[in-house]
Amino acid sequence: MKYGHRQGAFPLARTTGVLLVTVALLSAGIIGGRAQNSAAAKSRSDHSKSRLTEDQRVLHVLNRLGFGARPGDVAHVKAIGPDSYIEQQLHPEKINDAVAEAKVRDLATLKMTTAELYEKYPQPGQLLRQLERRGELPAELGATRRDRRSKDEAPASQPNAGAVMEMPATPPATPEVTKKKEQKASDTADPRDNQKYRQAIRQYYMENGLQPPQRISAELQASRILRAVYSERQLEEVMVDFWTNHFNVFAGKGADRWLLVSYDRDTIRPNAMGKFSDLLLATAESPAMLFYLDNFQSVSPTAQLGVGNRGQGGPLAQMLMGERIIARRQLRMTNNPEQQRPQQQARRGINENYARELMELHTLGVDGGYTQKDVQEVARCFTGWTIFAPRGAGAAAQAIMDGPRAERLRENAGRFFFNPRAHDDGEKVVLGQKIPAGGGMKDGLVVLDILAHHPATARFIATKLVRHFVADEAPAGLVDRVAAAFSKSDGDISATLRAIFFSPEFNSQQAYRAKVKRPFELTISAIRTLGGETNGGPQLHQWIARMGEPLYGFQTPNGYSDTAESWVNAGGLLERLNFGLMLASNRIPGTRVDLHQFLSSDGQAPDKIMERFLNLIVAGDIAPKTKEVLMKQLNEQTALIVPAMTRETLSTNQSLSGDEFETQRPQRQGQQPARAGATITDPVTKIVGLILGSPEFQRQ
Amino acid sequence: MNRRFFIRSGGVALASFGLMSATPSFLQRVVLGQTREGSAGGRRKTLIAIFQRGAVDGLNMVVPHGERAYYDLRPSIAVARPQPGNDESALDLDGFFGLHPSLRSFKPLWDSKRLAIVHAAGSPDNTRSHFDAQDYMESATPGVKSTADGWLNRYLQSKPDRERSLFRAVSLTQTMPRVLQGKAPTLAISNLADFNIRAGQSSASVQGGFEAIYGQAVNDVLAGTGKETFEAVNYLKKVNPAQYQPENGAQYPRTPFGNSLLQIAQLIKAGVGLEIAFTDVGGWDTHVNEGNARGQLGNLLQQFSNGIAALYTDLGRRMDDVVILTMSEFGRTARENGNLGTDHGHANAMFVLGNSVRGGKVYGQWPGLKSEQLYEGRDLALTTDFRDVFGEIAGRHLGTSNLQSVFPGYASSAAKFRGFLE
Repeated sequence: MKYGHRQGAFPLARTTGVLLVTVALLSAGIIGGRAQNSAAAKSRSDHSKSRLTEDQRVLHVLNRLGFGARPGDVAHVKAIGPDSYIEQQLHPEKINDAVAEAKVRDLATLKMTTAELYEKYPQPGQLLRQLERRGELPAELGATRRDRRSKDEAPASQPNAGAVMEMPATPPATPEVTKKKEQKASDTADPRDNQKYRQAIRQYYMENGLQPPQRISAELQASRILRAVYSERQLEEVMVDFWTNHFNVFAGKGADRWLLVSYDRDTIRPNAMGKFSDLLLATAESPAMLFYLDNFQSVSPTAQLGVGNRGQGGPLAQMLMGERIIARRQLRMTNNPEQQRPQQQARRGINENYARELMELHTLGVDGGYTQKDVQEVARCFTGWTIFAPRGAGAAAQAIMDGPRAERLRENAGRFFFNPRAHDDGEKVVLGQKIPAGGGMKDGLVVLDILAHHPATARFIATKLVRHFVADEAPAGLVDRVAAAFSKSDGDISATLRAIFFSPEFNSQQAYRAKVKRPFELTISAIRTLGGETNGGPQLHQWIARMGEPLYGFQTPNGYSDTAESWVNAGGLLERLNFGLMLASNRIPGTRVDLHQFLSSDGQAPDKIMERFLNLIVAGDIAPKTKEVLMKQLNEQTALIVPAMTRETLSTNQSLSGDEFETQRPQRQGQQPARAGATITDPVTKIVGLILGSPEFQRQ
Repeated sequence: MNRRFFIRSGGVALASFGLMSATPSFLQRVVLGQTREGSAGGRRKTLIAIFQRGAVDGLNMVVPHGERAYYDLRPSIAVARPQPGNDESALDLDGFFGLHPSLRSFKPLWDSKRLAIVHAAGSPDNTRSHFDAQDYMESATPGVKSTADGWLNRYLQSKPDRERSLFRAVSLTQTMPRVLQGKAPTLAISNLADFNIRAGQSSASVQGGFEAIYGQAVNDVLAGTGKETFEAVNYLKKVNPAQYQPENGAQYPRTPFGNSLLQIAQLIKAGVGLEIAFTDVGGWDTHVNEGNARGQLGNLLQQFSNGIAALYTDLGRRMDDVVILTMSEFGRTARENGNLGTDHGHANAMFVLGNSVRGGKVYGQWPGLKSEQLYEGRDLALTTDFRDVFGEIAGRHLGTSNLQSVFPGYASSAAKFRGFLE
């Protein structure tokens, strides 16, 4: 639900609401500054009258251009001035980022090609089938596999948990003889077999230097967390987050778990602050997007693929067609052709999914003036934009046995390529513009060019950026100016952002703390504000997921919402409060804060302690009543003794090494004891937990 | 600022008049609402939706034992025709269909006409991808991926809740399922015991701190939500989920699925205004060694039906106002594959249970399993669009008057309903 729309739809309801509430509050005798508040809401459009104070502006800039201030950041930005800080952030390439790079250095997957990821992080089921085909399946592994019970094969019960949902289309070729026996074995299977099977797999992975595919997602998520916490190029990280949502891809869809590494590294990151047209092209060519929105299997109905093509359909052609087609062909050859044909026809053909989302979500916006006919035409333009061995080269490479060709196939698995044979080379008309026949891959490039430079795109991108950086209800005047800046700079993202950051709207009281942080923003800003350390591991990511925003875990192509109403709900709020408590009490393995460091200089007087943390976490700017509550809590607790945090408490924390990456299994729902909570033994931890959970810290 | 902020703040302000300060304000609304509705003759209806993720084999779940082709297509995994005294044969329903023997606990519900079946139902889209098909079943817009919200959420939007219960829609899952995503407020709780502030021995004191902080800032949408959240937390504490005792001797399976159902029963009995409950259960993707009367599928079905039967027993007379609906993204191939399993197919069977259900009948037209009757030469063909099943429940049970907004792009109408509800 877009705010603009809602505002338009309920203008009466809104005004009446203001009146009703004011009346209700007056009669309830708890008026305070409420009337003044609704008055401020009414004059919301007049931004120039209420500029931020200099101190507020420093905080505002640190919160919006980045993931909040670390200790010392406020002083630094004050010293150089917010304007120069903004200019620096607009040019990330000039900022030294050695610290963050060192933090992600040990995440091996980040540097691997997709092909390497397929080889070293195979999906167990797929790997076993390959070994079986090659006759290399170790006897013991084969035996435990036959004995295992159903659960291992089952897809996870929760799609958002990031499980690989799509099971392979071709069933494994089990040895012929033992079928009846197998069935018996499975009937009476010992529940422990499940564990034995897992153990056998783990053993095989260990002996052969392999790792489970979940590790790929875990490392990618860790890299996003680490960079957000440690990078000096804060704005670039904010933009990576922004574009990752704008061009959303779900890790749980088939091969996307493997493809997302390259997506972050080669597609989003290098283009996050450059030209929008480059970014758009990069996403269009990215295997992750091609897979997620099905374009990789979009084939012209008149294409020369498949049936009747065996003459020239040697191994190379098969490689080019991707393993799915090979698998299908094998299926056809081994089964009754009569019954396979209908499915073939149903599967081959144009897929409009990418074409539609490209216009609706990536460029023009839903009201951007395109028609269903345009969707069809754009889909035709993108036929043949596909992926080389989209699910890894294993089966396909096996199909052509070993040798240089198999080698080539292995190396290129999971890469983009344009397959002219799948392309519809006829004439198309897109948004009234004729695209002549015979253009080949150029057709898609022309479409991207039309879309990137369309005025509706400028408006759509400007609206989303203003909503992200200024307020949920993007001020219309600012959107106009930002869209103009976008068009004038040929879609230069830096130039567009500059138009926002130096606008009166951005620098107004109305924008100050106007945005509710999303869970990722809350998590990172909490660690940063306490000067914490983290390895970004799954135990931390799990909290982001619990609050509702697992990275790469959004199923549908629209990406996570950027407005408060999606994030302010009972379940999410409770998890936010619990997260703050867990962080403050050092109960999140792999993440650690040292509250002690903030206490050393001015002793332990309760009011001093509180002031200190209020200044640190919310810049001292908090409701007076909240202060009162905190003070009461602090006094109440000091009476209960228990010394403040010591070094020992910190050292009980798990090491920050990568161990816990291994032990993560997707959590099962239900039948579990209540989750362990934070242990709050001292007043300082409690106060910090409460401030992190305050409404003020939920906002930025 | 948005509309909800004002409504919510209004609620908070009302509570602070001190009219009924002893009970939480959202509960006041629920209680008031029930009284009001009660006098008008209507009571709050509840739907419990259960998703069998992974595509259950509907042909072995509800067996067409009267169809010869079924046995031809499945030489190894077919469930035997009903035979008195043979507990590995299908449980006959109507001379043509039978239940898988592991669904034994459904039989009494069938006999007392509380269980209806819709067979050959599902999505008209021909995708055989779990991901896409689950997406379509939850958005209820087959073929359209860009639909932002799930159909159960659109139902909530279609019928404003006067009481604005915080527990109006609860998913007993760790993350919010697609079917409940959308702008109407919903809750995902995997474990009711976790719905609180978790700070060990200082939990109460810390919660007190948060309540005080959130209790005073009424001008803020966060504060409004905070206040209501703690009302809910405190109320759940009184309900004391850890001490729950099922009624009528109901025994839930000691599995995550059984536990989810148990918690749904708790919420219904707690009277917190639950209207939509959702949970899911996985493991149905039986490509290999599916089994027939016994085996993988049988084990899963047993857990599945025992859980639902326990829920039914536990809720007792409350089932007058509750409907349980099961669904799965697509069916499986009519023919068994080379691994004693089945691959991804098309149409499937759905169960509908409740005291208001016209049970004891298999609804929908049976398309047959002969070669030429199969969809794309391999799967059970579709004769009931799942939106007609969902629509009947949204319209007749939950009582929305705006089916068009719940099922956009579909001409939903009572004429297409199968008639399993009165």
